[in-house]
Amino acid sequence: MDVDSYTNILPLIVLGVLFFIVAVSMLYWSAKKGQLRNFDSQAKVIFTEEEPEGEISDSFPSKKNKK
Amino acid sequence: MSNSSNESPYSANSAAVRAELSEIDSSIRSAALFFVISAVSWLMVGTVFALLAAFKAHEPDFASTFEFLTFGRVRSAHLNAMALGWGNNIIFAVGLWIMARLCRAPINHKGLLLVAGIFWNIGLTVGIAGILKGDITSVEWLEIPHYATPLLAISYALIGVWGVMAFRFRKGDHVYVSQWYILAALFWFPWLYVVAQIMIIWFPARGVVQSVTNWWFAHNVLGLWLTPMALGTAYYLIPKVLGRPIYSYYLSVLGFWALAIFYNWAGVHHLIGGPIPVWLISAGIVASVMMVIPVIVVGINHHMSVVGLHKEVWRSPTLRFIVFGAISYTLVSLTGSAMALRSVNEVTHFTHFTVGHSHHGVYAFFTMIMFGGVYYMMPRLLKREWPSASLIKIHFWASALGITVMVVALQTGGWIQGLEMNNAEIPFLETVQNTIPWLKARSISGVMLTIGHIAFAINIAWMLFAAGAVRAKQGPTLLADTKEGGNV
Repeated sequence: MDVDSYTNILPLIVLGVLFFIVAVSMLYWSAKKGQLRNFDSQAKVIFTEEEPEGEISDSFPSKKNKK
Repeated sequence: MSNSSNESPYSANSAAVRAELSEIDSSIRSAALFFVISAVSWLMVGTVFALLAAFKAHEPDFASTFEFLTFGRVRSAHLNAMALGWGNNIIFAVGLWIMARLCRAPINHKGLLLVAGIFWNIGLTVGIAGILKGDITSVEWLEIPHYATPLLAISYALIGVWGVMAFRFRKGDHVYVSQWYILAALFWFPWLYVVAQIMIIWFPARGVVQSVTNWWFAHNVLGLWLTPMALGTAYYLIPKVLGRPIYSYYLSVLGFWALAIFYNWAGVHHLIGGPIPVWLISAGIVASVMMVIPVIVVGINHHMSVVGLHKEVWRSPTLRFIVFGAISYTLVSLTGSAMALRSVNEVTHFTHFTVGHSHHGVYAFFTMIMFGGVYYMMPRLLKREWPSASLIKIHFWASALGITVMVVALQTGGWIQGLEMNNAEIPFLETVQNTIPWLKARSISGVMLTIGHIAFAINIAWMLFAAGAVRAKQGPTLLADTKEGGNV
């Protein structure tokens, strides 16, 4: 490839560098904010009073409320 | 994050802090329903194009009177209707709904979502009409003519902005792994689409750079758009339905970051043997094989999460589809890694094996998981039962058997085709003729999938428009009785 060909893909290289910076920044942010700790408790954040842990939830919240 | 107190929105008693899931579901209802209806409409349109293309592959004279029904146009119309019509609309429905639930806050700016959705579907309609008219580009996965793509890009940008805003104003500290997948995909897709459009359509790069960009884009649409959305859905719904946390949250996070690091390079393996630098192909092969790590991680995690609860999986329409999709993810990904090896690629390249592989990924994995997501989401949005469990069963069996027949037929026939093409003593036309039985099997599988799609569409229309009859039913829409006694 000659130099002209490389300048041809310059926008792609710039975007690639930006992409990499964003990805690394997100990883740094997640580590700094404690996202990579306490995995056991974090796995349970999807459960709520309406759809609690320990219950099969493939039924309607409204039906449970009636009970 | 906008918590006014230290209470966690996931466990707080204060309603000011915690948003009820039903409240969140209600806030996103109109937008999600719009996207579901759009997605199912495109699914049916794409199915018609698929059947036409499949029959034409072994009956070339079938419906050949009209230019707009020639194989090249119909096949590309099928691909775009399914990928951008069905795929993106159902992602906007299920993915954004899960995002809203995990952000634990009622959504704002739902008008923005609706406007973006309307323009997305207008842009896609114009694009597919352009393909049928003959304005198709020659670039696979980017066939939509240039006059329709700006509308698609702007519409998507609005939806992406909505996703980022929902994340920014979430209530809760922790970012669940599904949010990582969905947020990353919302970021990756526009990056892929805009770069590919610029490098290939608007300001075309010279020479093989176009091919590299083409397959970087096409493969990453699957790996960095459809895959993270489907995995995010599975990681949310498998533990949610079973009421049991994911087996290893650590592995789920590891799987996400491994996907983010390795997948981006893999697409170059489509150009093995092509006139591009060997180091680039080798890098693509290495990345493809490295993908075994996140695939095994996800496979172990999903499997261990359902161990001991297989009956519950079978009873749940949601998990029946999602677990089928999760198993398919493991199989299709390991097959894909093997196909990237030069020795295997020598046989599979330019054959129906690759077509079978792409359907294995987009249908058996992605689409089946999205079907499961719809079966879980719709009753919660509408607070209504699915009207017919029988139609769900028909949908599942027709889809599961149909896609299995398709993948087995195309990959068996494709492997034989590849071996014959590599044998210089076999005339090329003979290798083509020998594929016909396998292509007929593909058409039969297409009919089976069509039956499943019709059952799915009827159930959704019935649920949406026959409200009175559906409300009268009681109990969860499970496929078999549960301890609570619910069935339909």
